Amino acid sequence: MSAEHEDPLQTFIAESRELLLQMEEALLDMESRPNDPETINAIFRAAHTIKGSAGLFGLDHIVAFTHVAESVLDRVRNNEIALDPGLGALLLKAGDHLGQLIELLAAQASPGAAIQADGQALQARLESYLDAALAADAKQPSADKPATTADLAAVNNPHWHISLRFGPDVLRHGMDPVSILRYLATLGEIAALHCVTDAIPSLAEIDPEACYLGVELAFASDRTPDEINGAFEFIRDDCLIHVLPPGAPLDTYRRMIDTLDKDAGMQAILLALGSLGPEEIAALNHPGDAPAGAASMLGGEVAEPSVKENKSSESSLIRVDAGKLDQLINLVGELIIAGAGASMVARNSKLPALIEATTLVSRLVEDVRDSALTLRMVQIGATFNRFRRVVRDVAKEIGKDIALDIRGGDTELDKTVVEKIGDPLTHIVRNSMDHGIEPAEVRLARGKPATGQLRLNAFHESGSIVIEVSDDGGGLNKARILKKAIERGLIGESQALSDKEIFNLVFEPGFSTAEQVSKLSGRGVGMDVVKRNIMALRGTVDIESVEGVGTTVRIRLPLTLAIIDGFMVGVGNAAYVLPLDMVVECIELPALPASEQTAPDYLNLRGSVLPFVRLREQFEVSAPPPTRENVVVVQYAGQRAGLVVDRLMGEFQTVIKPLGKVFSQIRGIGGSTILGSGEVALILDIPGLVRQVTQQSQPAATGGTETCTSNT
Amino acid sequence: MAKTILIVDDSASLRQVVSIALKGAGYDVIEACDGVDGLKKLDGRKIHLIISDVNMPNMDGITFVKESKQLPAYKFTPVIMLTTEAGDAKKQAGQAAGAKAWVVKPFQPAQMLAAVGKLILP
Repeated sequence: MSAEHEDPLQTFIAESRELLLQMEEALLDMESRPNDPETINAIFRAAHTIKGSAGLFGLDHIVAFTHVAESVLDRVRNNEIALDPGLGALLLKAGDHLGQLIELLAAQASPGAAIQADGQALQARLESYLDAALAADAKQPSADKPATTADLAAVNNPHWHISLRFGPDVLRHGMDPVSILRYLATLGEIAALHCVTDAIPSLAEIDPEACYLGVELAFASDRTPDEINGAFEFIRDDCLIHVLPPGAPLDTYRRMIDTLDKDAGMQAILLALGSLGPEEIAALNHPGDAPAGAASMLGGEVAEPSVKENKSSESSLIRVDAGKLDQLINLVGELIIAGAGASMVARNSKLPALIEATTLVSRLVEDVRDSALTLRMVQIGATFNRFRRVVRDVAKEIGKDIALDIRGGDTELDKTVVEKIGDPLTHIVRNSMDHGIEPAEVRLARGKPATGQLRLNAFHESGSIVIEVSDDGGGLNKARILKKAIERGLIGESQALSDKEIFNLVFEPGFSTAEQVSKLSGRGVGMDVVKRNIMALRGTVDIESVEGVGTTVRIRLPLTLAIIDGFMVGVGNAAYVLPLDMVVECIELPALPASEQTAPDYLNLRGSVLPFVRLREQFEVSAPPPTRENVVVVQYAGQRAGLVVDRLMGEFQTVIKPLGKVFSQIRGIGGSTILGSGEVALILDIPGLVRQVTQQSQPAATGGTETCTSNT
Repeated sequence: MAKTILIVDDSASLRQVVSIALKGAGYDVIEACDGVDGLKKLDGRKIHLIISDVNMPNMDGITFVKESKQLPAYKFTPVIMLTTEAGDAKKQAGQAAGAKAWVVKPFQPAQMLAAVGKLILP
């Protein structure tokens, strides 16, 4: 199960964060589906678990705060309090406060005065819900010991006297009398013991699972009565127990004997154990007062709660340190490279058996790679769900009515990507709510429903994951974007741009379309940062918008950042790798007149225009071209382009190694990889090349040669 | 042979802390994260004690205990239930299911060790 060497406190922090998210989600659910018992239970459980674990770490402030929230939730669960929107909002705040406490804990800081005051205010408000329901609840735990009434001289006995009559069910309950006695022996010394076997029936009647035994023992110990009584804590309900401290009044002995049996057997045992002396026995035989109440047996059948079929899936999950996973992926990467080396040696050796063996190994390595990579995949749903709170809060803040529709939450992508996509996504969502969706009056005037629709969608598409944020708001105003772009000198006045290009202007640094800069978004640091963050993940972002109808921001991200299926091509002496998912087909480059040997070029691909680029020119490879060149047709984001190469070298598992910062400005190259021979191959940045080719505006890039050791 | 304890609780941190404490005292520990998982762990191996939370997803502790008592191999295995002070009705249901030992959350590891010691010593 969990890693043992991990710091439990870290586990607690991670777990609490998760639980708070679940709690928040459930609370938001409650707004749409009030009184769903399973949801209430989930909220309760989150508070309950945090409290329970916090107690283990001695985090009393968290325990105290959670306790109040938990008590309120418990009453909600028992239908004693209604979970109205007011309480829901209060519980959300309480969750936030707990989140703060947890984050402080993570940062090893203690809560400041402001947070403490916050907490106390929240606690007081929660308690007010409790007070209302408290009146009904005034049950007291029953007093456990019949009070001693009588006097009589104290018995002259240095030992405790303990009398146990085990109930018939103790064994069935797993309470082994021997274990109890063994535990007792850790508290002191059993000076003398007598086993009471009177209750054992005749052999024919014996139930082998029942316990018929009792013990009387003299016990030497200097522990407190509570500690000694504690030893019998778990059997108290089933058994008849008397614990008489040293020097207990004789009367207590009398009552004990009366409770246990009436004949003289007990007296003999007490005498034999040394608990009572002969004179005391004689004194006992004077008539005493009425027997006191015996320990009661606890019964009480309570209706069994039904088994809950829950969506929670923790049962089969293992928590693994992300660092260990990274290490595994790295090792798999090394394995792939080493495997490629072995395959190459095998091919060169031309030994069929060796080739076959290495082929098998390569296939297995590929499977290992795929499984290892899926380990890092997480569903994007959790990230999406976080936006329910964002949308709810922001909508309230700006006074708009906005409904969030989440789709494709089960789409999986790399954990690192998920972690890094949250911020850009938040920005886009806020932008949509703030600038996209119109105020209700405007919407009604335009014949739209008053409630704005915001949709988050995710799906897989040819090796990428696509995340869409769409709204049914006002759409982008092209004229205004153009005006502003010209104002800011981003484009020339005479430049003719396609719709797509116009929309993409909003990603330019320093661009903000909203005339009024609001608190939420539009401080001018917006969309360009979003774009930069997404590009850093090797992704792209673009906008589709119809004025008056709505806007869709589409983010396209690679599925994984570590290992891909590559397609290797050769130009001159160098090898290049492109992601196989993006390759559509390979064709031979038809002979062209020498006059057309300048970039950009076009090709007639079965009746459609295919722009292409010669990698030879792109990367300034000096070797002479072979007689026949090939074109690799690639596709990205709906656009096709051709890459002219010398040789097609086939599929190749590619472990992506990042290029250093120095190379970040080189166009057309996204990374590097190591071949089986130990040589370095460059990974082509297909999105960049496709853009370059289709825009037809840029000449070949100025940097980069066939090895990654050189620089511009 | 160290005695084996099964901890069933949906809180990983609680399992971890209790498990460290119990291992430190010389017990072997197996963990399960809910009732369903707990029953899966009751696969015939010798388990000397079960510690189970009440409130868990998928299958709660009381159902879990009830089910475990149906398994011949674990019929006599003692159970410690973890509960909050707010759980009086639960406690009765648990007692009926056959769980007689209760430890109130939040607890300190030492309290848990003492409770375990009353039922099985390492």
